[in-house]
Amino acid sequence: MPSSQSPPAGATALDPTAVRPEIADARIVRVAPAELRATLAGLKNDGFSMLLDIGGADYPGREPARFDVVYHLLKLPVRIASAAEIGTPERVRVLCGVAENAAAVPTVTDLWPSADWAEREIFDLYGIRFDGHPDLRRIQMPDDWEGHPLRKDYPLRGPARERTPRPSFALKSNVAAGTPASGKTAAALQKQIAQARQKTKDDTP
Amino acid sequence: MTTSIVPQAAGGYDVDVIERSDTSMVLSMGPQHPSTHGVLQIITEIEGEIVTKASPEIGYLHTGIEKSAENLFWSQASTVIERMDYLSPLTNALCYYLAVEKLLGIEGAIPLRAQRIRVLLSELSRIASHCVWLGTGGIDLGALTGFFYCFDLRERILDLFEMSGGARMHPNYIRVGGVGQDLPQGFLAKLDGLIDMYEPRMRDVRRLLQKNPILQDRMIDVGIISPEDAVAWSLTGPVLRATGIAYDVRKAMPYSGYDRYEFDLPVRTEGDAYARFLVRLDEMDEAMRIIRQVRKELDEPGPWQIPDTKFAPPPKETIALSMEALIHHFKLVSESFRVPPGDVYQAVEGPRGELGYYVVSNGDNRPWRVRTRPPSLYNLQVLKKIAIGELIADMVVMIGSLDPVFGEVDR
Repeated sequence: MPSSQSPPAGATALDPTAVRPEIADARIVRVAPAELRATLAGLKNDGFSMLLDIGGADYPGREPARFDVVYHLLKLPVRIASAAEIGTPERVRVLCGVAENAAAVPTVTDLWPSADWAEREIFDLYGIRFDGHPDLRRIQMPDDWEGHPLRKDYPLRGPARERTPRPSFALKSNVAAGTPASGKTAAALQKQIAQARQKTKDDTP
Repeated sequence: MTTSIVPQAAGGYDVDVIERSDTSMVLSMGPQHPSTHGVLQIITEIEGEIVTKASPEIGYLHTGIEKSAENLFWSQASTVIERMDYLSPLTNALCYYLAVEKLLGIEGAIPLRAQRIRVLLSELSRIASHCVWLGTGGIDLGALTGFFYCFDLRERILDLFEMSGGARMHPNYIRVGGVGQDLPQGFLAKLDGLIDMYEPRMRDVRRLLQKNPILQDRMIDVGIISPEDAVAWSLTGPVLRATGIAYDVRKAMPYSGYDRYEFDLPVRTEGDAYARFLVRLDEMDEAMRIIRQVRKELDEPGPWQIPDTKFAPPPKETIALSMEALIHHFKLVSESFRVPPGDVYQAVEGPRGELGYYVVSNGDNRPWRVRTRPPSLYNLQVLKKIAIGELIADMVVMIGSLDPVFGEVDR
């Protein structure tokens, strides 16, 4: 059982992405929304033919881009191919920072038709618009829902039930944006991330 | 042109006529349709019996699992994560913990026996999951008998899950750094029984279903997917391999020691529903081939969890004797472990395709973000494309052949 201490309030600016080069699970590319389409189209021409997934992430307080839209690409041949031909296909992860006040990125549904539902889901759960998407509406939540549930400042049980008693596991939830759940303070966490980032910078010539 | 279909005739217990013009009609199939394997609604436009447009509507089973996982400890989150793909919960938990282990930097320290047990359970999950697909897929086409053969086999696998983790459906047996406990007494004997009964059982199932001319008529040349479309629509798993592209995470990026085992990838090039059917059937046999190899190795005893008590609870008998063990146990239960900051994408080959987890840690004792790449979501989406030009009656065949699980599609 988690302890029942109430969380310290206050937002934190955390960005723990791309600080672990030793994991080497994928090549990481960070782009701005303006160059996103050119980057993805270029990668597609380079053979990254499959868009595996589009996900979102919320880092409240991060400036200038609060949200990340994360594209996972895989280099697969677009024809009948044996396992030996495929070998170990390369992965690339494209992270696109999106500002809170202009939360929009261009759609990639014309490059990959499979982007349709994934983009709708990010629009639904994070409130990030995809310019040029043919059918941008909510997909998981009901059409008349208010708010975007996967944002960190959206209460775990929804705004309506937030004042009623909470189950014990939710006592230290992320109701206050970015609040650390453990006893560690936000400043300590941020320091840890900054150190990891500095170390990554020092290691890469 | 006027159609011969009158609204009354189409208005059965599960199909409502929404709109009708002289040439085409809009039908809503589901969300309470027995052949949609969960809660899927498909708004179809039909001309006569030919589908001209199909728009699947999902989200009826959305339970906010990703949000819940952000609010649970690293070790608690797997309980909700197992509920995404409820037909192969262990694969979900395995993929999540592989990602967490990478962030912790302990992926090289997982004991051999734990890896073997993980492979064994993943392959048992694959067979159990394909049993549901095969049984219910047969029912969709009116072949009721196969269902009982498949579910009997699946029940025996679930018995093994119950022995290992204590629950049939969601054992939560895989933990960070290994598995929850060693395989209990009698497990291996029961596994041997399963291995012995598997082949005669599958021979029966194949005789019942594979060569069945009615099933063949319903499935051959229905819902054809080309390799180009398969890549463009992000299809993975048996659906991709039925189009001729032999991509399997177990072969391409082996995890948990899959590279130690010998197995083939069943691949077909037809790309229709029958090809997917055959690929899955052959995949069950290949899974059993891996299980036989793992079974031989499991006689060798060994640790099943990393000895590091910072992540794995110390052995119960030491808690009463050692102060450190008691402290570690208390800390693990009361506030779990902390994971160094970073982000990682980890994929495993689930029964439905590439199951991926993009996990972000900010250094705290709860995940900052757990994003699932659900194979069913992408496999189901292609229905928009392949349903066009097919008969409305073949819709259930196509849904069945894509094998979606809605816990995972909607999360």
